[in-house]
Amino acid sequence: MPQIADVRQKQSLIGWNEQKPSPVREYIETVVVIAGVTAMGWFIASHTSHLALGLVYLLAVIALSLRVGRRPVLIAGILSALAWDFLIIPPHFSFLVGNFEDGMMLGTYCVVALVAGQLTARVKAQELNERRREQRATALFHLTRALAATRTLDEAATAFLGQVDAAFNATSALLFTEGSGVLVAHPTNSFLLHEAERNIADWVASHRREAGRFTPLFTSATGFYLPLMLAEDCCGIFVLCPATNAPTLSTVQRELIGDFVAQLTLMIQHERFRIAIERERILAGSEELQRALLDSVAHELKTPLAVLSTAVEKLNTPAEAVQQNMLNEIRTATKRLTRLVNNLLNQSRLESGVLRPRLDWCNVRDVFNAALLELRNTLSFENRITITMPKDMPLLMADAALLEQIIFNLLLNAVSYAPAGTEIALSAGIQNGATARSFVSVADRGPGLPEELRENPFQKFQRPKSARVGGLGLGLSVVRGFVVAQGGEVQAGDNPGGGAVFTVYLPHLLHGSVPNE
Amino acid sequence: MIPEAARAEVLVVDDEIQIRRLLGSVLEEAGYRVRIVETGQAALAEAAARPPDIIVLDLGLPDMPGVEVLRQLRKWNHAPVLILSVFGEENNKVAALDAGADDYLTKPFGENELLARLRALLRRMQPVDDGHPLCFGSVEVDSSRRLVTRHGQPVKLTAREYALLHLFIVHRGKVLTHRFVLSELWGPKSEAQTHYLHVYMTRLRQKLEEEPDTPKFFQTEPGVGYRFTG
Repeated sequence: MPQIADVRQKQSLIGWNEQKPSPVREYIETVVVIAGVTAMGWFIASHTSHLALGLVYLLAVIALSLRVGRRPVLIAGILSALAWDFLIIPPHFSFLVGNFEDGMMLGTYCVVALVAGQLTARVKAQELNERRREQRATALFHLTRALAATRTLDEAATAFLGQVDAAFNATSALLFTEGSGVLVAHPTNSFLLHEAERNIADWVASHRREAGRFTPLFTSATGFYLPLMLAEDCCGIFVLCPATNAPTLSTVQRELIGDFVAQLTLMIQHERFRIAIERERILAGSEELQRALLDSVAHELKTPLAVLSTAVEKLNTPAEAVQQNMLNEIRTATKRLTRLVNNLLNQSRLESGVLRPRLDWCNVRDVFNAALLELRNTLSFENRITITMPKDMPLLMADAALLEQIIFNLLLNAVSYAPAGTEIALSAGIQNGATARSFVSVADRGPGLPEELRENPFQKFQRPKSARVGGLGLGLSVVRGFVVAQGGEVQAGDNPGGGAVFTVYLPHLLHGSVPNE
Repeated sequence: MIPEAARAEVLVVDDEIQIRRLLGSVLEEAGYRVRIVETGQAALAEAAARPPDIIVLDLGLPDMPGVEVLRQLRKWNHAPVLILSVFGEENNKVAALDAGADDYLTKPFGENELLARLRALLRRMQPVDDGHPLCFGSVEVDSSRRLVTRHGQPVKLTAREYALLHLFIVHRGKVLTHRFVLSELWGPKSEAQTHYLHVYMTRLRQKLEEEPDTPKFFQTEPGVGYRFTG
C-alpha cells in the first residue's frame, strides 16, 4: 500500500525525540544569557549611555522567550531588571536610582520585558500545539484513508499495523479474541509475542486495563498493551512497542494512540454488524429454501402416493375395465415416484460430492438408444424423436451412465413441454473451433424457455409458471451437475424456428489406434 | 404342471422382507422352486448344502458386501447369478459383474423383466451344441466350421471379430463387462482399451444386425458392457 510507504519515509510523525529540555537547563540558560549581557554592558558602559543597554536586555529577553518556557522568561525579565539597576545604572552596586529619568526607564523596561516575554512565549506554545494537532490530524487522516481502502477486517488490521508503525516509529501487534475467548495474533504483526508477552496480553484481556510500558503495571515489558473495547466486550489487544526508550508518553502521543484504537474498534464493530447481517440473510434464505423444498417434496411425494393408495383400494372393484384403469394409474404413479426419487438421489450425490465420474470411451448412439429405451419405459409420449449424427461420429470420452441420465432428463423435459406430434431432434457431433468440442443436443418445438428461467435455467427447484406436469425442478440442475462433473458445459437456447434447444459440450479427445488383427 | 424335480430352483438373497415375499410369490407362480435367505453367510451355506440352479442376489446385504458373497461363491459354484442393485450404484454393479455375476437388475424392476432375465440365464446353462448351428435373426453361426451366414450368404468376419462373436455366443444372455471382453480378446494388458471393443462392436453390428443403429442382438449396457441376446 503506497500511503504506508510514503508515511514511513517521512519517519515517525509523532517524534519520540521531541523531548522538552528540562526546566533546570532553561533556567541556567536564562541566567547565562542575562549574565553575558550584563558583563558586556559592564565593559561598554563607559562608552555609551547606560540607558541604551536596556534595549539590549529587552532583545535578550525576547530571544530567550523564543527558546524557553514562560517561567524562565519571567525570571529573565526580573533578573535583567535587577542586574541592570544594580550594576549598570548609577549609582553602581546599589538598587537606588539616581534620577527620575532612570527610574521611569527602569519601570517601563520591567513592564515591557515581562509582557513581551510572556506574549512571545505564549505564541510559541500555541504554535507548538498547533503543530502537534496538525501532526495528529495528518496521522489520523493517513489511518482513515488506509482503512477506507480495505474490505475485510484482516486487511484493515494489516493497514492499521502499517500506519501505527509509521506514525509512532514502533513495532506493533494486534490480537483478536476468537469465539472461544482465545487471543489469536494477527499474521501481519510486526511485534512478536512470546510466552511472557502473551501472558501480559491475556491479563489485559481479562482485566480490561492498560498495562506494560508507560503504565504502573508490568513495567519491565517492552510494549504498551491496550484492550480494544467494544461496549462491555474486549474484542482484542493492541500492543505498541516504540523504538525509543522514552520513559513516558506525551499527551499528544497518548491521545493519538486513543484515536487510532478508536478507529480500529469502529472497523471491528462494522465488521461484526456486517457478519451478523450476512448470517441473518443466509439463514433467512436457507430457511425459506428449506420450507419451499419441503413443501414441494411433500407435494410431489404425496400425489403419486395418494394415487397409489386410492387405486389399490379400487382394485377390489369387480369390473375388469376399472381394474385395468387402476393398474395403469398405479404404473404411472410408480414411475413418477421412481423418477422423483432418482432425481433427488442424483442431486444429493452431486451436492455431497460423492459423485466420481468414470470417464471412458463411449458410443454416443448406444447412449442415445439406452436413454430412449428408458424414456419409452417411463412414460408414453406422442413425439417423434430423430437421431442425427455424422456417419463417422467418433467415440466420446464421458461417463456413459451419467451421459445417459443427462440425455434422459433432457428428453423428459422435451416431451413434457413440447406439444404432441411435434418432432424432437437428438443430435451429436464435433464442433470445430479453437478447441474442438464434442456436443450432444436435444431440440424441441415446444414453447421455448420461459422468460423467468432464461437467466439461469439450470437453477434447482425452479420451474416454469406454465408447467403442465408435476416435478421438483431438479431435472436440469442434475443435467448441469453431471455435465460439469465430466468437465463439460451445458447451454440452453432458442431452437431456430421455435422451441428450446439444450446443448451439452464435452472436451473432445481422440482415442488411440485400434490394432489390426 | 411341471414336475417338481424338473423345475429350476432359485436361491433368493435379500434382507428386505417385502422384497423377499414378493420375489417368492412371483417366482413360485412362474413355476420355480424357491429358497429364500436374508444374509450373505446364509446364502453361502445354503448354496454349499444344495447348489441352486440360479441365484438372485441383492448387493446391499447387512452382514457382508454382495460382491464378497460373489467372490466366495465363485470359488466353487458356477450357477448363474442375477444381481439386484439400487439406482446410482454403477461402480458396485460393474464390480459384481467382474466378480462373476451374470446380469443385473436395478430396483425397482418389473416382474416381466425379472422373469425374462432368469429365463435367459437358465437357457445359457444348456451347453452350446457344436453340432447344430446357432440362429439369431437371419444369421446362422456354425461353430464347428467357423461359418457365419446372413440371409444364407456367407459373412466375412476377421479372426478377432469371430472370436468376439464366439465369446458372446458362449456367454449369451450374460452381461459381459468391457474389462472381461478386452482381457479375453486382447489380453489382460489391454483391459483399459475400451475403444478397441467399441470399434469392433460397431463392425460386428454392421455385419450381423439388420439395423446396426438400433441393434437387436448385440445390446449395450452403457458404462458397463455388452450383452448378446441371440
